[in-house]
Amino acid sequence: MLRFLTKRAGDGILTLAALVTLTFFVMRLAPGGPFSSNRKISPDILANIEATYHLDEPLLQQFLRYVWGVVRFDFGPSIRFRDYSVADILISGLPYSLTIGFWAVMVATVTGVTLGILGALKRNSIIDYSAGVIAVIGIAVPIFVLAPLMQVYFALTLRWLPVGGWGDSWRNLVLPIVALSLPNIAYISRLTRAAMIETLRENYIRTAVAKGIGGRRVVWNHALTGAVLPVVAYLGPATAAIITGSIVIETIFALPGIGRHFVDAALNRDYPLVMGITILYGGFLIVFNILADILRGWLDPRVRNE
Amino acid sequence: MPLIPMTDSLLRVRDLSVRFRLPEGEVTAVDHVSFDVAPGEVLGIVGESGSGKSQILFSLMGLLAGNGRVSGAAHFAGQDLLAMSPRALDHVRGVAMSMIFQDPMTSLSPYKRVGDQLAEGLIVHKGLSRRDAGREAVRMLDRVRIPDAARRARSYPHEFSGGMRQRVMIAMALLVKPRLLLADEPTTALDVTIQAQIIDILAELAREIGTAIIFVTHDLGVVARLCDRVIVLYGGRIMEEGPAAPLFAAPAHPYAKGLLHATPRIAAPLTPRLETIAGAPRAGGAMLPGCPFAPRCDQRIDICQTTPPPLKAIAPGRLAACHLTGETA
Ligand SMILES: Nc1ncnc2c1ncn2[C@@H]1O[C@H](COP(=O)(O)OP(=O)(O)OP(=O)(O)O)[C@@H](O)[C@H]1O
Ligand SMILES: [Mg+2]
Repeated sequence: MLRFLTKRAGDGILTLAALVTLTFFVMRLAPGGPFSSNRKISPDILANIEATYHLDEPLLQQFLRYVWGVVRFDFGPSIRFRDYSVADILISGLPYSLTIGFWAVMVATVTGVTLGILGALKRNSIIDYSAGVIAVIGIAVPIFVLAPLMQVYFALTLRWLPVGGWGDSWRNLVLPIVALSLPNIAYISRLTRAAMIETLRENYIRTAVAKGIGGRRVVWNHALTGAVLPVVAYLGPATAAIITGSIVIETIFALPGIGRHFVDAALNRDYPLVMGITILYGGFLIVFNILADILRGWLDPRVRNE
Repeated sequence: MPLIPMTDSLLRVRDLSVRFRLPEGEVTAVDHVSFDVAPGEVLGIVGESGSGKSQILFSLMGLLAGNGRVSGAAHFAGQDLLAMSPRALDHVRGVAMSMIFQDPMTSLSPYKRVGDQLAEGLIVHKGLSRRDAGREAVRMLDRVRIPDAARRARSYPHEFSGGMRQRVMIAMALLVKPRLLLADEPTTALDVTIQAQIIDILAELAREIGTAIIFVTHDLGVVARLCDRVIVLYGGRIMEEGPAAPLFAAPAHPYAKGLLHATPRIAAPLTPRLETIAGAPRAGGAMLPGCPFAPRCDQRIDICQTTPPPLKAIAPGRLAACHLTGETA
């Protein structure tokens, strides 16, 4: 297990290094720059600005400076939000995105797995069909349609919950968390259902039944592992994506997370911010994939020996 | 009914039929099969692939596929297995009747330590503590001659070879000291060289515990060596039944004859599949009006294709289902 862990961690660091390098060069190679806008800027001023952001240095030097910064979680100042460093922007938005994301992952996993298992055990029952309908809605209807509908119904019509914004109350979190988890509930429940049905057909389940240990024990003690393994694999990348915030959710519910910077930063060619966000996301992706692998290895001894 | 001896049998199966519903109609896999197993007896069931051997065992264990239906009766120690509540059946499966499956590679859970998989039955059915059950499991693994059993009990199935896994399955099946063991071709998936070892371990332990066995196999050598009585199955029906030695010495039914012909040396450890009988084995499908073997039988007469031959006594303790027996046998 220790060898498995060190190998995964080593792979992760290498991947991150590759990501850092790639982000830098892709960004530099893309045509245009942050100051090559329509507005005419006098050459003197441009030179000045470029010096401030070290854009006048040779590429290699820029790269080394950048890498050294990344190591210290310092991506330099944002180009668009001049008064803030990229790190400031990320650190101030992250708690909101992380909170919403964490709970969305929890809700999606628990609900999705439960629905999936119930559906698989009681195939073609009311529960199964309802879960199927939820899944179709969750997968087919985009969040930007569902979320406003939820606002209209639960906030404006029933007045149970606030429409949006970030307050002291947990009630502000309910709608964004539900909206963010819905597509994942849908996906996870389908994944679990299929895996459970497949697992129940396995020969070792027949062996367990033949031991006379009872249906409940067969399901919880023997079939459950096989049914959740695909979910664990899915959760690695999904968690990284969810907790780094969703531009749609954060915009609709007026939340000050980092999700909205994803698109903004790229459109504005805010190099430092783009790279900060990319590396943050990449880092999460790697970390959560490693965590998922560890969990998989813990559940399935064959994974440990791969 | 008087054809079948009314002994104090452990298992008494009467008119057992297994049918499967398929989109294109119903198929009969087992057709009115009756037999008895006495305590401690070893009954062999032989027959080509698809003859219904596994389905007989599955129906007794309550393991039929979802589209399968069973009818008839199977009294085990006085209770009808086919009419039991699921809880009662679980109890029987847990303490009195166990099964070893054809494929040891997939019949153990890949996610659990071998020792835990063994111990589970003891914990659930005998109320043993985890520790005591674990100790019993190790002892049993030792009995099936798994080297270094205490350490191996903590391994996972993928760390075992096929032969070792089947030993684990045997240990698991015999751990609860069942009165009846259903063994479904326990060695066909294994390397030839270890088949004999596994059979020996199984036979030795079963004899010691006093477990009766229904031994399903393609391997007539094993049947001749191990079984007290033999059932020859074809197309879901019993073609011939009798004590092993006389049946092997002089099979009465043309199908049994063909089967034995296909195995020139009975003692040979490896028996080819019984493909040397001309024609294809009857696949499950619409039942023929007459004898299921008639289309492939070189001695068939007109009546064979119209009337199913009844299973009738041909000698003390011997039964055969053939219109010709008594005349030509
Ligand atoms: N779920 C099912 N649905 C339909 N038919 C089935 C099903 N399971 C088994 N059968 C049919 O039942 C018949 C008997 O199958 P069975 O498994 O008992 O054969 P077998 O004698 O054990 O053969 P083998 O030696 O290959 O294991 C076969 O014709 C098979 O196709
Ligand atoms: Mg079979």
